[in-house]
Amino acid sequence: MKKVKILIGLVLAVAVIFSLWPSFSMAADTVEVGIVLPLTGPQAKFGEVEKLSFDLALEEINTAGGINGKTLELLIEDDTGRPDVGRSVVEKLITKDKVVMLGGGYSSSVTYAVAGVCQQNAMPFLVNTGSADKITGSGWDWIFRLNPPVSHYADAVKTLLAEKVKPKTVAILYENSLFGTKGAKSFQKICDNAAYKVLLKQGYEHGGIDYKPVLTQIKRLNPDIVYMVSYIMDASLLMKQARELKLTPKMFVGGAAGFTLPEFVDNAGKASDKVISATLWHQVLPFPGAMDYYNKFVAKHKRPTEYHGAEAYAACYVIADILKRAKSYKNTDIKKALSKTDMMTVFGPVKFTTWGKLKNQNIAGTYVVQWLDGKLELVWPTKHATKKFNYPVNWLKVWGY
Amino acid sequence: MDVFIQTLVAGILIGGIYCLIGIGMSLIMGVMGIINLAHGQLMMVAMYITFVLSAYMHVDPYFSLIVAMPGLFLLGCFLQKYLLNPLMKKESILPENQVLMTVGMGMVLAEICRFIFTSDYKTVKTSYGGQAFFIGNISFNLPMCIAFIFAIVITVVLFWFLAKTDTGRSIRATAQDKEAATLMGVNSTRITIITFGLGSALVASAGSLLIPIFYLFPDIGGPFTLKAFVICILGGLGSTVGAIFGGLTLGIAESLGATYIGMGYKDMVGFLIFVIVLVFLPGGLVGLKRLIKS
Repeated sequence: MKKVKILIGLVLAVAVIFSLWPSFSMAADTVEVGIVLPLTGPQAKFGEVEKLSFDLALEEINTAGGINGKTLELLIEDDTGRPDVGRSVVEKLITKDKVVMLGGGYSSSVTYAVAGVCQQNAMPFLVNTGSADKITGSGWDWIFRLNPPVSHYADAVKTLLAEKVKPKTVAILYENSLFGTKGAKSFQKICDNAAYKVLLKQGYEHGGIDYKPVLTQIKRLNPDIVYMVSYIMDASLLMKQARELKLTPKMFVGGAAGFTLPEFVDNAGKASDKVISATLWHQVLPFPGAMDYYNKFVAKHKRPTEYHGAEAYAACYVIADILKRAKSYKNTDIKKALSKTDMMTVFGPVKFTTWGKLKNQNIAGTYVVQWLDGKLELVWPTKHATKKFNYPVNWLKVWGY
Repeated sequence: MDVFIQTLVAGILIGGIYCLIGIGMSLIMGVMGIINLAHGQLMMVAMYITFVLSAYMHVDPYFSLIVAMPGLFLLGCFLQKYLLNPLMKKESILPENQVLMTVGMGMVLAEICRFIFTSDYKTVKTSYGGQAFFIGNISFNLPMCIAFIFAIVITVVLFWFLAKTDTGRSIRATAQDKEAATLMGVNSTRITIITFGLGSALVASAGSLLIPIFYLFPDIGGPFTLKAFVICILGGLGSTVGAIFGGLTLGIAESLGATYIGMGYKDMVGFLIFVIVLVFLPGGLVGLKRLIKS
């Protein structure tokens, strides 16, 4: 019996030591920042691009001297794309790892949940992708956002439609998640203001096999524009099945997210060609280092990167800049440094201001890209464009019928 | 009119695959009197087998049926022999021990696949994946049609097996009356093992046929287990013929729901029918047939 007690005592002692381990390892010469990204699960592809970009930037920052001589360390945690998991990993980062601030945040639903935890714990959180308006629109003062809110994603698409396509009728399809519903709602508003008639606005549950019923209905209504807000697999299936049905509006428009990843072309194949999408970044934009980042990424990972990657890469530099300027690593000092941010990144100028109802929001531009021969080309606004906007499109010919 | 016909076509085609999923579950339910809640997960395992064969050995998904079906047959037999049958002898508070075991099996299978393949989406690219042909204005997706034909062939073979072979007859006898079958010299333990294997092989075929159309990830099983369950209830518990009707009914109902009510309400339509059938027609479509006869 005594032996058993000793054994239990030993096990407990080891457990206690291991649970305290991170605080031992956090030696004085590193600064730890927590990053929340979906590394597995439905949104893993986005998380992967962002993680690789974070790593790329981190390497550069640390070779260039780190944070005032200290090494920057990123603790990247997997939120699996689920808000509940997001909450728990962030709680772990805050209480166990004692990170000085947080970054990342991919899907709106997860980011919103994570932001709530950060606000409660007075933990500075720099969001770089989660785009629902209410993330910075809830009056939370610990949440800062690099990317524009989803209600502005379609700004560039709006002007493109008004000047080039001049549609009369529109059909909107969206995933019934936070990002999807908000994206669809703001596009509806754009349509209402421009007097485009919305013939159909329908949400779908992600992960469907067959979208043909709803696409057939759209075909019957014959709108000028089909606008879709979807993540990656649904985006591919929607375009593939639109091709099978010979659904030919004047233009297919994607609301960013699933429509800009290279996997969209991989999965949808021919059906992806000439589709346009809203985007937040393109490597040809005249921001210092944008093209460099793109080339470095391609050289290292043998695959293209897009706006999600640029957001992450820029966010890492912003984090480094904040930590360099902060008086100490106390949360209030970091917050002060965050609000004084005024720098240039590959993603454009970064400065956190109040934008309408949104607090601590960086104002960034939006653009339109088009898939041309398997490449993502910037087509709008024309002053930055790499290729001319392909319009009108003979879909049947593009699809090889 | 085109919209209606196109919706119907989409519903019938997907219904074919639903049939395969439903028949497997129905067979198991008939013989053992338990609901196999790992059914969708077994399909997921078959899909991963197909994926591995296709991605690393470049085997066409349809050829991989030859591997996936026997593979899942063996897996099914193994599960029944070593995990489910031993439970029959155990005394327990809950008589539904075996059902609980299937839930556990499903979770373990999903987590093993997550461990090996991570939860990323996987797709198998085939040259015919996005091909469609047209009759009039109606589009027919080629892999869907192939899957439908396979579903018919597999079902016909199954019915021939159940009607003409000795083992098939023993399965039917056990389903009708287990004690009587045992008295007549049927080795009912062996029959349960074969049945579970057969059910797994059937759902495996559905998985392989879905691959060119759909994508896969470890959590794909759950929704399909639910679908299989709904199909069995629609058709009448334990009836294989009923499962065919159930599968087609669910496919068509979902499609019509998606077109005429809303894409987001597609699943709701399926479950609404499920509830209505349970309340007003507990015997399912087979029960309806009996009702009309009497």
